[in-house]
Amino acid sequence: MQTQARVRRWPWVAIGLSLATAFTLSMMSPADSVQGDLVRIMYVHVPSAWLAYLAFFVTFIGSVAYLLTRDLRWDRIAAASAEIGVYFTGLAISLGMIWAKPTWGVWWTWDARLTLTAIMFFVYLGYLALRRTTEDPVLRAGRASVLGVLGAIQIPLVHFSVIWWRTLHQPPSIIRPDGPAIQDPLMLVALIGGVVAFTIVYVSLMVKRIELIHLEDRKSAVESAIERPVAGEAVTAPKLGASS
Amino acid sequence: MTAGFWRQVMAVVERDLVRERRTGDVLWVTIPFGAIALLLIPLAVGTDALLLSQIGPGMYWVIVMLFGVLVAVGKASSETLPQQDAAALAGLDPAAGFVGRSTSATMLLLAFEVVVGVVAVGLYNLTLIGIPWLIVTLVIVAVGLALLGTLTGAIVNSTSAGTALVPLLVAPLSVPLLLGATQAYDGLRFGHSILSWVLLMAAVVLIVAMIGVLTARPLQET
Amino acid sequence: MSQWGWVAFAYTVAYGSLFVFATSIAIRIRSTRRSIGETE
Repeated sequence: MQTQARVRRWPWVAIGLSLATAFTLSMMSPADSVQGDLVRIMYVHVPSAWLAYLAFFVTFIGSVAYLLTRDLRWDRIAAASAEIGVYFTGLAISLGMIWAKPTWGVWWTWDARLTLTAIMFFVYLGYLALRRTTEDPVLRAGRASVLGVLGAIQIPLVHFSVIWWRTLHQPPSIIRPDGPAIQDPLMLVALIGGVVAFTIVYVSLMVKRIELIHLEDRKSAVESAIERPVAGEAVTAPKLGASS
Repeated sequence: MTAGFWRQVMAVVERDLVRERRTGDVLWVTIPFGAIALLLIPLAVGTDALLLSQIGPGMYWVIVMLFGVLVAVGKASSETLPQQDAAALAGLDPAAGFVGRSTSATMLLLAFEVVVGVVAVGLYNLTLIGIPWLIVTLVIVAVGLALLGTLTGAIVNSTSAGTALVPLLVAPLSVPLLLGATQAYDGLRFGHSILSWVLLMAAVVLIVAMIGVLTARPLQET
Repeated sequence: MSQWGWVAFAYTVAYGSLFVFATSIAIRIRSTRRSIGETE
């Protein structure tokens, strides 16, 4: 019993430890010569953005795998990754805005990367909205996986179109949000440490989120078994003598 | 794709166009909706002629993307489940159904684009330069948006889903079409080459068409 | 706002939302387990 509880708890422990490490590294790194201490925002913004794209990719793989195998486990992976991905995409966008305001004076810069991330956010959101409309797990999996494939394959085209669009309308050089050059090795450590830590967080959240999907599917199976009336009840003998 | 396949496609197209003639959904609802949207914008942003001529083309294409897609949705969702089952039992190839519905949606979207386009030119005082290539752009956008809307409508395939779900799903995926169309209009006006944008939009069309045909049967079987 | 103010804002948003997100999953797992446990 105790071992079972301990096994179930490892993802939370992993999340706690990796975040503590990442935080320490980002505090230990020096300030940037140009951006000052604001550069520390990069240590949470970049890992979030990395996870947003990773989660999206996993949803794509899960969708393809489901279409090929019809194994619901792949659909659960796709769904869990999409929800976690929406969260990290939203976080990446928020952190990008918090970074942009003091650095360039505006909340939003319409650069290619930020715009693309915002578009991706809505693709994810739509995927989750679609899943909510269908209760039957098999029907839901089939529809969601086609959308997952369609969305993922369109993203490179969206990517190119947005980048071409920005290069045609080059924003003023003050608002060119490329990341600062990494001058100090400690900065690189903080950045990579953040990416690794957040990846561990992603995997841990995936494990738990898939467990939750599993439990919810079991719960709705149990509930529908209880609510369903016994088949024979639909057919009753006509009542004679009752007023009609 | 045999002759039988294309015969089925034509049958679906005919069915959809007959339905449109009967219900007048595109002609009397969606097109006026797009037109009044064009009317509302200057009420909100101001009627300065220079401003309107600058934002007009972009506004037109956004309205095509957001409202035009409703043209394609109507085709897919107006088929009730029993009607779809009947079609399947009658031996309709799901891929032919997809191609047919996309074709009728393209034709109706073209009508939408032309009528709403005339309104835009009038209200926003737009200049049309490079008309042949503009027509090419109109057609490619119509095909691409019709494919996106039809496929997404088939994915959602639910009368209980919110009416905004399909437009929500299509909107981010329509960005390459939106950017391609707007850049094409600008390019033609100012004499730049628009070939790369046309090719990009063509790529969208090809890819969505492929995905739509390949997933038609799996979608029907779910 | 000072630079450290913005950094604090960003980190509060990042770690705070992560905590909320992870906790919500944990809570939902526990309540779903309980509701299955009751009916099974």
